[in-house]
Amino acid sequence: MSFSFNDENSLKIEHLAKRYPHKKALLLPLLWLAQKQEGFISDEAMTRISEISQMPFMHIYSVATFYTMFKLQKKSKRVVEVCRTLSCELSGSEAIKKHLLENHSDTYEIVEVECMGACGGAPMCTLEGKYIENVTPQMLDEVLNAN
Amino acid sequence: MKIIVDNVPIECKEGERLIDVMLNNGVEIPHFCYQQDLGMDGNCRMCMVEIKGAKRPQIACNTFVCEGLEASTKSKSINAVNRSILELELLNHPVDCPICDQAGECKLQDYYMSYGLYDSHLTTPKTKKGKHIELGSGVVLDQERCVLCTRCVRFTSNITKTGELGIIGRGDSSRVAVACGHELNNPYALNVVELCPVGALTSKDFRFKQRVWFLDSAKSICHGCSRGCNIFIDYNETKYTKESIYRFRSRRNKQINKSFLCDFGRLSYKELNEKVISTPLPMEILKDLFKSEKKVAMVSPSMSLQQLQSVQIFCKNHEIELFSLPYIDESFGDDWLKTNDKSTNFAGVKELNISVNQDDFENSLENANLIINFDHTLLKEREIKDKKVIHFTTTNIKIPSEAVFAIANFAHESGTLINCDGIRQEFYTTKYKNEVPTLRELLKRRP
Amino acid sequence: MQTKIVSKNFEIPHANTMEVALQNGRYSSLGKLFSHTPQEVIDIIKASNLRGKGGGGAPAGAKWQLASDYEGKKYLVVNADESEPGTFKDRQIISKDPHLLIEGIISTCYAIGSNTSYVYVRGEYEEFSDILQASIDEAYAKNFLGQSAKYPVEITVHRGAGAYICGEKSALLESLEGNRGHPRLKPSSPEPEFYFGEPTLVNNVETIASVPFIIENGAEAYTAYGTDCSSGTLLFAISGHVEKPGVYEAEFGVSMWEYIEKLGGGVKGGKKLKAVIPGGASTPILPAHLVMEAKLDYENLKSLGSALGTGGMIVLDEDASMVKVLKNLLRFYHHESCGQCTPCREGTSWVDKTLDKFIAKTATKKDLEVLKLVSKSMNGQTICVFAPAASGVIDGFLKHFEAEFLECIK
Repeated sequence: MSFSFNDENSLKIEHLAKRYPHKKALLLPLLWLAQKQEGFISDEAMTRISEISQMPFMHIYSVATFYTMFKLQKKSKRVVEVCRTLSCELSGSEAIKKHLLENHSDTYEIVEVECMGACGGAPMCTLEGKYIENVTPQMLDEVLNAN
Repeated sequence: MKIIVDNVPIECKEGERLIDVMLNNGVEIPHFCYQQDLGMDGNCRMCMVEIKGAKRPQIACNTFVCEGLEASTKSKSINAVNRSILELELLNHPVDCPICDQAGECKLQDYYMSYGLYDSHLTTPKTKKGKHIELGSGVVLDQERCVLCTRCVRFTSNITKTGELGIIGRGDSSRVAVACGHELNNPYALNVVELCPVGALTSKDFRFKQRVWFLDSAKSICHGCSRGCNIFIDYNETKYTKESIYRFRSRRNKQINKSFLCDFGRLSYKELNEKVISTPLPMEILKDLFKSEKKVAMVSPSMSLQQLQSVQIFCKNHEIELFSLPYIDESFGDDWLKTNDKSTNFAGVKELNISVNQDDFENSLENANLIINFDHTLLKEREIKDKKVIHFTTTNIKIPSEAVFAIANFAHESGTLINCDGIRQEFYTTKYKNEVPTLRELLKRRP
Repeated sequence: MQTKIVSKNFEIPHANTMEVALQNGRYSSLGKLFSHTPQEVIDIIKASNLRGKGGGGAPAGAKWQLASDYEGKKYLVVNADESEPGTFKDRQIISKDPHLLIEGIISTCYAIGSNTSYVYVRGEYEEFSDILQASIDEAYAKNFLGQSAKYPVEITVHRGAGAYICGEKSALLESLEGNRGHPRLKPSSPEPEFYFGEPTLVNNVETIASVPFIIENGAEAYTAYGTDCSSGTLLFAISGHVEKPGVYEAEFGVSMWEYIEKLGGGVKGGKKLKAVIPGGASTPILPAHLVMEAKLDYENLKSLGSALGTGGMIVLDEDASMVKVLKNLLRFYHHESCGQCTPCREGTSWVDKTLDKFIAKTATKKDLEVLKLVSKSMNGQTICVFAPAASGVIDGFLKHFEAEFLECIK
């Protein structure tokens, strides 16, 4: 199975390539585009990125495993992230996590993450990357059951 | 220019790395990630030294010397720093030295004896990582023993530029790996085993064969091609068998191979362990043979200057025409260490004015009745009909021949070689006497 | 108590759009900017005593000079990898007044002689970086950016992908070059950063966003705010056990307790204050009695054994378990250590695991020694300041709240 960027993304890549002094710098943007396109970053996508950025496959793989937001496995469920860092913990993130695990783990993958930079809106979650701040169990039920 | 290290003045050049000055002058400086031919990375933090006037300890690998620099590696406070770093390096290490092949040449062991000797403070479980991972090219990885110095990674990315190895994950789950479905696969791969300062990377070829403290080393030259890479021959005389050679290791030569060897050369030690069977003729027959026949001789261009000279004198005394042809293999060389000329001393052959003309040799061969082959590979494989062939050989001959005299290989003789760049180098024999005579001894005895 | 310089337009609806931004003074400093030579602009910034607002507080003018002194290709990289726990100020600028940042970028590029800028936004801020990108597109359309602009500047938004350490400027550049975010070794003498070998200035979003005010109103207008050493204002943030968490801009030097009371609405539920982590998770904790005397500026907090950091305060009430709080922070450090150098990679994980024993109340005296020992090993022996920061955090907790840790020893 091979991977190729779709037309829209290929165009974006062409445009991006002009904005960096070296092809290597395209690495993170390319990984993002691949993840957007397929929902995760497959080995085939990394092979293609290795060709475009002119870096060895292992470099791509090594970089992809450094950053927590790159997913190298296909997801079966949609993801709800719960921030667990201090301001959120002080504001009740543990109870939020418990609530999510007890009520929504069948439909959603519940993942704990470190500080998302939303301490003013603690406790906070994300649904498929979108921030939900000052969450309460009732509010999460509404949002998650509606989606 | 002079600097002071541990109260001793040392002569050096402005701008040199402090760690190089120390290593070149025999100052003991603990280090994992720095390697003179891979360069600096600064990740292990083991080479901390005290610099007079600096607020904090500095890593010697990233310190450049200047006039008046004063460094200390022995003070109580700096040794406490070294120890604290070492404790962290060893923290999640399985401490499985009794079953580790690196034991005896492991930097963690060495430094523990020099800087450690502490009771473990660990009260929590160790981090678990992968074990016995086959990376390819006969290299096995134990991630738990790894100190993440990245020497192996830097070798494949900066030296061979093949980039098979990398660090994956991050923080304390960082580990060296090859990507799934890929393997370590380049003609220099085994260097990573030698570069690894600990027992994380071991060679399937060598592991579990011999404890390194039983091994002796001889300074030698690889005979794999005309580059003349400097090596150590690691050997041992075990109880019931005769001496055995276990491995070649690189011997640093800044001008030629730095700290590296190709896998072909590194593994060529195996030929040296071959037991060669002699089938000599009785002396009388041999004498007759020499008197009556039209003779031509061929000598291996991989012989030392001293051997070539004895052969030359022998041939002159017996009026034998002597030739030597190089071992050319166009598929062998690359743009780094490997050369297409696989003969070790062809430059020596030319220096001694031994004939290297192939057409002349073929003509002489045509007319000759007796061919004397001094270990030349070509004639060991070429069957020559209706002619008598006498071999002096370091390997077994598989084709019919008149007589075979086993001679000692280069591990058992000292000598001089001239490499492809005209550099003259000595190699030295191992300590143990082989039961097989050297060519020079044999030529003195024979007819 | 608020002083709104950078946050002036935050409350204005749709200030992220060009139309509203222009109505509210954005890009108005450019006229003055181009009436100065680049060196004059740098001198103004030096005179304004503007300090880096990403946490370090280094004088911005001196950094600009270092980059400006190089000839040839140069880069400006804006650090929007805001990941310090307790800090959420840069996202306000990016989402509420992105044109202020763009204006600042144009000014800074002009001053140092760069035509290329990257804004490295943390990956999680996708919706905010989209807003920024839309504003950049507008600025191109209006010829504030691009080759037809009065001074040509190209801005590229570059998304990170989840790594706290990329907020460290050299790690950020490594990441921007397409590598793992490993911090680089520090040079022995002052020099700019380098992106693909070319001299580069790295500044925090808020630092750059402070520039237009200074250009428009002069250095003295800026030094009129704050203290002698810490001029101007900062987007202080407050979270944790407070009634009104949020980002409120204030002058340097205001009283911390007053800030908590007046802007943060006081401790949540009327409880008593126990302690404050003053400037993002990496700054040593201040117990209540020190909070009362603390002023929000670099010098004062340093004298109290802590640091101003990013100005992101985390307030802890009387019921907070200090063992749990430290465990939370060290779990963060353990998770975010890049793993490049030994003391940090091994040390953060060791402390994190040891703290589990305190939480479980199965710790021994030896475990307390381990905390102190590892903290010492992580300080002053690493490539970057990540591990020393963790070390400072541990030391702070043990200095002020050791009794709570002793209670967990069986």
